[in-house]
Amino acid sequence: MPTTFTINNRPVTVDIDPDSPLLWVVRDTLDLKGTKFGCGKAACGACTLHVDGMAVRSCAFPLKYAEGKTITTIEGLAEGDNLHPVQQAWTEMVVPQCGYCQPGFMMATAALLNKIPNPTDDDIDANIVNVCRCATYYRMRKAIHRAAEISGG
Amino acid sequence: MKILLTGFVLVALTLTGLAMTATTTAPESTPFDVMMSALTHKRCVNCHPSGDRPRQGEDSHTHNFNVQRGIDGHGVAALQCATCHRPENNDFAGVPGAPHWHLAPREMAWEGKTRTEIARQMLDPDRNGGKSLDDIVRHLTEDELVLWAWNPGVDDEGVPREKPPVSKQAYITAVKEWAAAGAPIPQTAD
Amino acid sequence: MPNPTSSSRRKFLVRATVGVGLLVGTAYCAPIRRKIAERIDGSVQSYDGNTEDPLLWFEITTANRVIFRCPKMEMGQGIFTGLAQIAAEELAVDVTQIDVIPAATDSGPIDKFGTGGSSTTASLWGPLRDLAATMRVMLINEAARQAGVAASTLSAADGVISGGGLSVTYGEVVARAGNWEVPDVPPLKPAKDYRFVGKPVARVDLREKVIGAPIFGMDVSLPGMLYGAIVRPDGLASTFKGADTSAAEGMPGVVRIVTEKDFVGVIATSYVEAENAKRKIVATWKNDRSWDTFDVEAAIRVGKGKAIEIQKEGKAKRMLKDDAPGLITAEYFSPIGAHAQLEPSGAVADVRADGATIHISTQVVDHTRREVAERLGMKEDAIVIQPTYLGGGFGRRLHTPNAMQAAVLSRAVGQPVKCFFTRKEEFQNDTFRPPTHNVLKATLTPDGRIAALSHDISSGDVMYGSPLLPGVLKTLIGADLGAWRGGMIHYHGIPNYRAVSWRVRLPFATSWWRGLGLLANTFAVESFMDELAGHAGKDPVGFRLDHLTDSKEDVRMAKVIAACAERAGYRNDAVDGRAMGFACSTDTGTPCAHVAEVSLQDGRIRVEKVTCVLDPGLVINPDQVRAQCEGSIIMGMSAVLYERMQVKNSSLRPVIYGAYEMALIKDAPREIDVLLLENDDAPGAVGEPPMGPIGAAIANAVYRLTGERIRRMPLEV
Repeated sequence: MPTTFTINNRPVTVDIDPDSPLLWVVRDTLDLKGTKFGCGKAACGACTLHVDGMAVRSCAFPLKYAEGKTITTIEGLAEGDNLHPVQQAWTEMVVPQCGYCQPGFMMATAALLNKIPNPTDDDIDANIVNVCRCATYYRMRKAIHRAAEISGG
Repeated sequence: MKILLTGFVLVALTLTGLAMTATTTAPESTPFDVMMSALTHKRCVNCHPSGDRPRQGEDSHTHNFNVQRGIDGHGVAALQCATCHRPENNDFAGVPGAPHWHLAPREMAWEGKTRTEIARQMLDPDRNGGKSLDDIVRHLTEDELVLWAWNPGVDDEGVPREKPPVSKQAYITAVKEWAAAGAPIPQTAD
Repeated sequence: MPNPTSSSRRKFLVRATVGVGLLVGTAYCAPIRRKIAERIDGSVQSYDGNTEDPLLWFEITTANRVIFRCPKMEMGQGIFTGLAQIAAEELAVDVTQIDVIPAATDSGPIDKFGTGGSSTTASLWGPLRDLAATMRVMLINEAARQAGVAASTLSAADGVISGGGLSVTYGEVVARAGNWEVPDVPPLKPAKDYRFVGKPVARVDLREKVIGAPIFGMDVSLPGMLYGAIVRPDGLASTFKGADTSAAEGMPGVVRIVTEKDFVGVIATSYVEAENAKRKIVATWKNDRSWDTFDVEAAIRVGKGKAIEIQKEGKAKRMLKDDAPGLITAEYFSPIGAHAQLEPSGAVADVRADGATIHISTQVVDHTRREVAERLGMKEDAIVIQPTYLGGGFGRRLHTPNAMQAAVLSRAVGQPVKCFFTRKEEFQNDTFRPPTHNVLKATLTPDGRIAALSHDISSGDVMYGSPLLPGVLKTLIGADLGAWRGGMIHYHGIPNYRAVSWRVRLPFATSWWRGLGLLANTFAVESFMDELAGHAGKDPVGFRLDHLTDSKEDVRMAKVIAACAERAGYRNDAVDGRAMGFACSTDTGTPCAHVAEVSLQDGRIRVEKVTCVLDPGLVINPDQVRAQCEGSIIMGMSAVLYERMQVKNSSLRPVIYGAYEMALIKDAPREIDVLLLENDDAPGAVGEPPMGPIGAAIANAVYRLTGERIRRMPLEV
């Protein structure tokens, strides 16, 4: 049974088992590798993308729930060559080290800024709970504040 | 012969005992007991916490990753319950799910409360969201999130989560019987 | 780019940590073994591979870009950037003209040792500059030849060769080049002329990592690729005995089920189908014996296993017998630690009749190739390893059996196969940071100085199980170099001291974790130094300085200690619910000191601020050195405060993030102040040394806050 949705402003229809986690549809069927597999159990957040603007962990999101929805992945955060404020801030602060977890963090941060344009440190603590082993958290915190600034929050 | 007879009686008694257990309502369990044995089970209490953090797991540890109640029990801005929890269990990922997955409001906190306290709270329209007894019965016996306790899925290793100690049907029957009897709350301390 | 048809042979300096002559006859000679141990502990592994052919390392494209085939792997430590900066200086290009790529074994230089040990920048500092300078001269010579002018009339800048009216790009020279002559290494650029080295150049991989480009092993996709999943045991020390695959056979998407003598795996048309089918396979495992948590902790005890004295000065053993008057003793513990890097281990294997290509996040390209060749029964040069960016290394990717397993599956179906660990398998098949038990003993003189100090370290094998350690060195050293890293006493002013390593075999793999024994051993030594200072009635910072000599190494350490205490405004008293703790360490030649400031919130230790002073020799990229300090500090703090693997019912647990508690953004100190001491030496180790002091710094701060000495990691108040 096919599922139809919009991803990064592009309509797609996929004919995959509707119980498949969206993560694997995005990565393997649609060949968008930016959304990462870290645990497959909704624990690490590396698979975070947006469904209708809300942060969702795609490894625990069956394809069938994507029907008719608007999905945004890290590849769709930028507008053409213009990086999203979160990506701009991540670039300014040189946040990534190995980089594997970073798309998930950027998506979670973008979702946060959609709802709280000027988050406090306590807001950051409560909302951003992904795992980064390289522990880039120190710069990440600065980048989140900077992203809020760039967005005019 | 005597031994045989004793043996037969013992077996008969055992079978009767087993039969009684099979209906999951031993003669001494009241509808209130049956209902409460479900409602005080961790599958329910994990999401009826006294504070602003849900609990999880068989050991009811505080939910990992600093997950919080938020304004309306659905989590915080970028970490809603729905960020991970869907309207049904995800056995592939081991993430439980049910429609409108969220925390019971603080007024419906059950953690650390006795059965009588929980019952009184449930019946109090000031603390139960203005529900009548009929509303309460409907919520307890038909709400999909409540009934999830009997279909709790598997954990991240594929191990089935423990269900309440009474069957769903026994629980539903007990709730209705309890309500039909006027929702009595026993005075005995528990 | 035409292949070189003639190259003159030149000798580059071969730096060896252990000279060949020293190897002979030292197996039984304790003092020389200790000398080797000390040398290895204090210096960085030299580069082991071809450093003579610039054309193997650099390719100039006709678009005038420099492709730098890097034999060391980028896993977040920033070496692609630092090495590009170094190369840019001598290549006479702008650093932004260089594209660094991980070198594949069939087209670039091969690093025989591997990426790790904080050795990359230090080990390539000399060879890379030589190679880049030689490349520049080759281009100038060739431009001169093409133009029919003398090379001395030409010079190069920003990828353009000019002189006497001539102006030609490197790309244009290369397009018309015939044979290359490799000249002698020219003189190198003086440091005062550096444009990039010493500057905070933006990471060369920054944009890719910010836009989510598919650069990791897990992201590789090949035409016709299938997905594999291998069944792995839950229990420790399990041997595969066979499997019932009948329930998996007919499952959707299943292409083949492969049963080898050591594993069973399923190949399917998608990852989800492979996983679903795998879950239906019933494998039989044989376990040797039952290990539970108690057994593991009982096994790692000073006094058990084989003891090797790794350091000795004076008469410490004699002076510190159990009945020595005024003997002060303390013991410390650390648990099994998991790597928990975010990208799971795995590989994409493409096996053909005549060879194979393996796409993989690996730290040991050469070892991976050897393992795959052996398993497939092919020659090594028939196997191409195409490394990728690593989604976290930390020593996890020094063991890459996934490459071999993916290759077996690929061969079974004649198509490329991608095969990765699940997170549970990643936790249970990790090559862990081994648990430790440390016993420290000391006596003080009447005037409050240390008279004698000893450190006994019991730990699991870190390097013994490692394919990296040459067999010769294993026999030689006896002790496990990795386990006692950070455990040697660096206060050379103490008249009598010794360190002893006790090695214990464990039923699970232990190996390199960032810093190896550095974190746990420094936790023990530096907590003990703090305790001794208390017994002596001395300030802990001054107490440490009292025991350093005027040797070059000690003077360097003293500078770092003093600078850190001053920068942090170190004080012994708790003020407003916050207290400070001091600690220092030196690792592979790089000294580091921390002051950690902690508070207690809701019964949990909160690290409010860390001041870090590091002397890493020459700083190639100050921003990235700072980033390594920040990351090391928080990663170390995570291990010290939260992390613990255990053995329960013969199985390693936990198996998921969350249950394996790690630092999140909320736990990271909101203030980290890093001071890099200016130094014009060559670049030293950076990736691991900044982690050393964090455990003891936190524990010492907690003591000053609560009056309680916590001697067990993870710390619990």
